[in-house]
Parts: sequence; C-alpha cells; structure tokens
Amino acid sequence: MSTPILLEAVGVEKRYDKFAALAGVDLRVRANTVHSVIGPNGAGKTTLFHMLTGTKTVSGGRIVFDGHDVTHEPDHRRVQRGMARSFQVTSLFLTLPVRENLRLAAQGTAPSHALNCWHAPVGARANADAVASVLARLGLERHADTPVGNLSHGQQRRLEVGMALAARPKAIFLDEPTSGMGIDDLDEMKRLIQGLKVEHTVVLIEHNMNIVMDISDTVTVMQLGRVLAEGLPHEIRSDDRVRSAYLGNMITGGKA
Amino acid sequence: MRKHFHLLLALAVVLVMPLVMHSGSLASEVLIFGLAAMGCNLLLGYTGLLSFGQGIFFGLGSYTIALTLTRWPLPMPLALAAAVAMGALGAAAVGWIAIRQRGTYFVMLTLAFAQMFYFMAYSFPRLTGGDNGLLDIPRPSIAVAGHTLWPLVSPWQYYGFVAAVFLVTFWFLQKASNSIFGRTLLAVRDNEERAGAIGYNLKLLKLQAFVISGAVTGLAGALHAMMTGIAPLSSAEYHTSEMILVMTVIGGTGNLLASLLGSAFYVLLGDWLSTLWPRWLLLLGVVLMVVSLGMQRGLWGLGETLWHLVRRKDRAAAAPAALGDKA
Repeated sequence: MSTPILLEAVGVEKRYDKFAALAGVDLRVRANTVHSVIGPNGAGKTTLFHMLTGTKTVSGGRIVFDGHDVTHEPDHRRVQRGMARSFQVTSLFLTLPVRENLRLAAQGTAPSHALNCWHAPVGARANADAVASVLARLGLERHADTPVGNLSHGQQRRLEVGMALAARPKAIFLDEPTSGMGIDDLDEMKRLIQGLKVEHTVVLIEHNMNIVMDISDTVTVMQLGRVLAEGLPHEIRSDDRVRSAYLGNMITGGKA
Repeated sequence: MRKHFHLLLALAVVLVMPLVMHSGSLASEVLIFGLAAMGCNLLLGYTGLLSFGQGIFFGLGSYTIALTLTRWPLPMPLALAAAVAMGALGAAAVGWIAIRQRGTYFVMLTLAFAQMFYFMAYSFPRLTGGDNGLLDIPRPSIAVAGHTLWPLVSPWQYYGFVAAVFLVTFWFLQKASNSIFGRTLLAVRDNEERAGAIGYNLKLLKLQAFVISGAVTGLAGALHAMMTGIAPLSSAEYHTSEMILVMTVIGGTGNLLASLLGSAFYVLLGDWLSTLWPRWLLLLGVVLMVVSLGMQRGLWGLGETLWHLVRRKDRAAAAPAALGDKA
C-alpha cells in the first residue's frame, strides 16, 4: 500500500552563524501514515519540526506541502494549509479552560474571524462540534471547564496533542508527546496517536522506542543534522549503521 | 449576564457621582480618564502589551478637537468623530511599527514614539500652539437646525454628555472584550507562541487592539480638551502616558470596570491630597509599590477578595444557625 506524498522537504538547512543545526535534510511523508523521526538529543529533530511547521525560518532548501511550496510561509499561514503541531515543552493557554483552549485551536483555521469584535463565540461561532469530538477523544470531558494550569501533567500532554487535532488538519506534527509522562499514561497516548492516521498524517518525534516501533509506518533516523537512515521499523531496528552509530540496544526497546 | 451586570454597575457609578460630588468637572474627569484607562487596559490587560504611547493618542484627540472646533468650525459631534479617527490613525501608525518587537523592545519603541510626539507638538507651534497649547476651545451645545437640544454650558450639563458618551463606549468595549476578538486577545496574552502556532496572525490582532485603544483614548483626549477649554502641550507629554498607565495598573487589569475604579481613585485622591500637600504624587508612588508587590490584580482584585471573605463569613455564620434550627 502506498499513499500519495503529502509533505516533501528537500535539502532543508538551518544555520546559526557557523553552526549547522540542519545540514540538508530530505524527508518525504506519505499521507495517512505515521512517520517517526528519531535520533539522539541534538540531532536536529525539533529544529526540523520548526522548519516544517514554520515556527522558524529555513536557511536553505524547499518544503512542499499538499502541492504548495510553503518554504517561506509563516506558521499561521501553514495552519490554513492543513498543518498543526504540538510542542515538546507543553505550550498551552494556562489561564483559560480546556474547552476554550480547544475552541481557540479550532477557530485558528478561520483566523479572519478572530478580528470580529462584535459577536461573542457562541452558537454557530463556537466550533462546538470540533471541540466536543476532541474532548471525547482525549477523555477530558469532565475537565472541560477546568483552567488548563490546574490539569495534571499527563492531561496537559494529551491536551497538547488535542490542540493540534482541533484544527482538523491534514498533517499533525507531534514533538515528543510522551515527554515526562508516567507509565500509566503512555498506553493511552499510544492508542491516541495510532488512531490519528485514519484521518490524518502523523509526523512524530519520540524517544520511547516501544511506541515508535509499534505504531510507525516509516522511521527516519537523524544524527548531527543529517538523515542517517530511513525505513520500516524492523529495517531500522536491524540496521547496523543505526545500531553502531549510537542507539545500541535502545533501538530494540527491550524486545530484541 | 455578567456583562450586563458590569454595564449596570457603570450606570450606577454614573448616576451616583452627581449625588455625592460637588464638582461636575471633577466627576467628568473621572469618566474621561476612565475611558483612557479602559483603552490602555485593552492593550495591557487583554493583549499583554505595555504601551507608554497612550499620551500620544490622548494628545492627538485634544489637538484634533481644538483645531476642528476653532479653525475649521465643524459641528461638535463631527469634531468628536474626527478626534476618534485621529486617535485610531495615530495608534495604527505607532502600533504598526512597535508590534514588530516584543517585551522590552516593544515598550522602548512606544516610549520613543511618546518622546517624538511631544517634541513634534513642541516644534510645530502654528498647528499646536507650541508651549502655550491651543486655547479658547468652545463647548458648543448639541443643536439640530438651530434648536438647542442639550446645552453643555454648566459643568454638570457637560457631565451628562460625557456620561452618555462614556456609557456607550463602555458598552461597546464590553462587547468587544467578550467577542471572538477579545477572547482571542486573551489567548495572545497567555501564550503568543501557541497562538501563532494554531493559526492566528498576531500582528493583525495586536494592530486592531491598538486601533481600538487609540480611538477610545483619542475620544478621552477630546472630551478633556472640551472640558478645560484648552489643549495644552502637557497633554502630549510623556507624563500623560504614565498617568493613564498608572490608573490602569492601580485599578486592575483584565477588567474594564477596574479601569474606572483606577481613574476614580487617581483623580479623586489627587484632588483631595493636592489641597493638603503639593507633593502628593509621592504617596501615589507608595500605592503603586503596594499594588506591584502584593496586589497585582489592583483595587478591583482587592475588592473581589474582600467580597469573597465577607460572603464566606456570612455562610460560616449561617451554617451553625441552620444546625441550631434542627436541634
């Protein structure tokens, strides 16, 4: 089974003065797959995410998303093209309730409405359906009216993914969604991500190899700002370069 | 329901002031600076933008109404609209440049604009009257086809007019702050990075907040100039920006009515203390310190805390009584 390519990055570079955080990365992501990006800390995974989603500008290369060259579009423009992202360090509207966070995220796909200073976001303007379906998916219905700052870490991490979901994007970029999560929350997060590829394309940065190997369709391994290897999970697991480079037995996730 | 509650509270303040105050001018001043502080609050409390440029928009409103009423005699409502438009235009220009930076540099840019505006006003005496300001601004009554509908001669008559303008503006700002726009501003205030990442054009949102803030502040400047009959250079001074900002912070941010409270506190305390002690601003410094150190929700927040305490005591007092009834 091979679905069309939704996202293609060619020779993407990011330099900070003389230091190259990304030294020419190529990436092709097929629609309705889970494509994971792994690699040790400092390999450039998050920088690559920033480039793909427009959080920061590229120093070189080209990014095509859904047939459009988005290389020089700012992040808020790319949201209109159907991209959404979560953050490695939780980044939410902490004083606002869960429901309001999701409503804002859902409304972000029609940002010109945000200049409406006459109508309150009620009725047809409340994006109630999108918000309700994400609340149910995250299992946060009971906390809908709780200020986000009062949620537990695991709940905040789930909402972090939910913020990306609420926009009903074509592609979801998840930056270490399980970071800092307890073991109890991990399975729930894994199921959540796995379920996403029915309707979305998922690009995932993740350190937990159990999750990566179980749910990915494609795995890209990065090292020192470059792509070291790419393939199916079992290919990556048995790739000698990857093994000898740095992952050691971590790649097997204890399953060997 | 809550927004109507606040509108009713504002109406109550407007109705009570004539009953308890002697000076119509002082009461007008409370409402006028209340408007300016609300404009500032929209930026500081709702958007998280600390602007030292509010004096520019206030000054623009003052000069515009002075010029339109004296040199090119326009009907007063039109002159007032022109002052609002100039305030909005000035804010669009300042905002357009200042919002390119965040944090300290944003604040510095607004400060730079405030200084520039002062010296521009000083340097074009043919337009602004320079050091003397513009004098003899009339206060025409509201008339239709030669019939005076609403004379604005006495201070209390003028207060009535200011009160009507204040209530309409308050109603609009209240509506705007509860609108999709206002709610999105709160998101920008909370977390700019995320607001951008979920699709919002931060610059456009901030610019619109600036324009509304400038329009309201320009309105306040115009009403003030008509009240005093002059548009002095001091209204273009940096001190005006500072005063508006201090009122906003003392009242409490994020709630429009709090700005009226801040304005009332500043204007009335100033009026009272300045007769006792000319250096009363020193005391204001102490109040500002207290607010900054331990009362960051301002006087409004203090009021809310006290209200909750009283209610808890009431409930505590009611509970044993209920038990007693059963026994």
